[in-house]
Amino acid sequence: MTQNRNKLIELLIGNLVNSVLHSILEKAINDRGLSKRYAQELLTSFSLAQRYREKINPVHSALPYQDIAYIGTKIIRKVKAELEQRKAKGYENLDISLVEGLVERRLKEMKITD
Amino acid sequence: MDQVYLPRNRQGFPLGGYVVVKPLESMHVTEKPHFYGIKEVAPLKLGIVQEIFALISRHAHDCENVLITGSFLEEGFSFQDIDVLIITDKEMNEKSLQKAIESSIKIEVHLLVMSHDALLKGLATDPLYHMMLSKAVAKKRFIYHVEREVDYKLLDLHLLKSRVLIDNFDSLNGNEKYSLVRNMVAIFEFIKGEKLRKEHVDKEIESIFQVKVFTIRQNVLDKKTFLREFRGVYQKTLDLILEGIRHDSKQKQAH
Repeated sequence: MTQNRNKLIELLIGNLVNSVLHSILEKAINDRGLSKRYAQELLTSFSLAQRYREKINPVHSALPYQDIAYIGTKIIRKVKAELEQRKAKGYENLDISLVEGLVERRLKEMKITD
Repeated sequence: MDQVYLPRNRQGFPLGGYVVVKPLESMHVTEKPHFYGIKEVAPLKLGIVQEIFALISRHAHDCENVLITGSFLEEGFSFQDIDVLIITDKEMNEKSLQKAIESSIKIEVHLLVMSHDALLKGLATDPLYHMMLSKAVAKKRFIYHVEREVDYKLLDLHLLKSRVLIDNFDSLNGNEKYSLVRNMVAIFEFIKGEKLRKEHVDKEIESIFQVKVFTIRQNVLDKKTFLREFRGVYQKTLDLILEGIRHDSKQKQAH
C-alpha cells in the first residue's frame, strides 16, 4: 500500500513537472496565439496529474507537510533542470523566476496544499 | 399510404384526393463537398458532413470555409468526436454553435474557429496542422501554399506533450498512446522536411516501433520494448530541437 502511494506521488510529480514546464515554455514563445492553438486536442499533463491525485489520501484535504515539502521541492528542482538545459543551448526568454509561483499554484489546484 | 385529415371541406381538396406533404423549412441544398487525401466517405458520414455544413451556413453564413478532419474520416465508425474547423475572420459564438451542431447530429464535436491568416501561420509552423489538413472534407475548394518555417520553440512545446507517455504508460489507453506517438513522430518528420500525411506518419511509426498502428490503438504493446524505442526517438527529436534553438540563437547574435 505504502509503495503504491509513493509510486502515485512520483507519477503526480512527473505530470506536474510537465505541466509547469509547459506553462513556462508557452510564455517564452513570441507568438502566444500559436502556442495555444489546437492544444486542447491532446491529453494534458494536468488532467493526468488530477487522476493520480484522486488516488492519494487524503483526497479532499491537503497532504501531510512532509509530502508537500517533498513534492514541491522535487517539482521545482526538475523544472529548473529542464529549463537550465534549454538555457545552455541558447533558449531565450525563459523566465526561471516563474517556477516557484507556478508550482505553488499547481499544488493548490491539486489540493496538495490548502 | 399515409392519410391527412382536414377538419373542414376546402376547395381543391376532395375527400380521398392525393396531396403532397412537404416541410415548411426546406432542406438547404449544399454544394458537393471537396475531398482532400481521401477518395470517398461512407454515405451515412457524408450525410452528417452535409448536415454540419448546412447548420454552420445557417449560423455563420459568411465564413470562408468549413473543414471536417480527424478520425471521423477514417474507415469505420470508431471515431469519438468530429473535428470541425471553421475559417473565418469574423467573431462567432463557438459554444452556442457547437451546442447546436451536437444537439442536431447527436455526436460530440470538437469545434475550432480560426482566421485565414492564423491557419496559414499554423500550416507554416505546426506539424499538427499539416496532419490535420492532409485528410479533410471541405465545404469549398482550398489551396494553401505555405513555406515551411521551423519554429523550434513551438516544436519543443509540442514535443513535451508526448513525454506524458513515458511516465504514464500504464494509465493511458491505446488511442491516447497512439496520439502521443503520432505527435512525436510527426514533429520528427516535420524537422526532416518530410511531407506530413497521416499514412506517411503511420508508416514511420510502424517502421520505428516494429508494431502495427492497430496494435498501439488496441493497447496490446510490449511495454519494455516499446518504451525503449520511444525514449530513443523522443531524445533524438529533443536533441534536434535543442540544436535548432542553439543554431537560431547563434544566428540572431550574428545579426
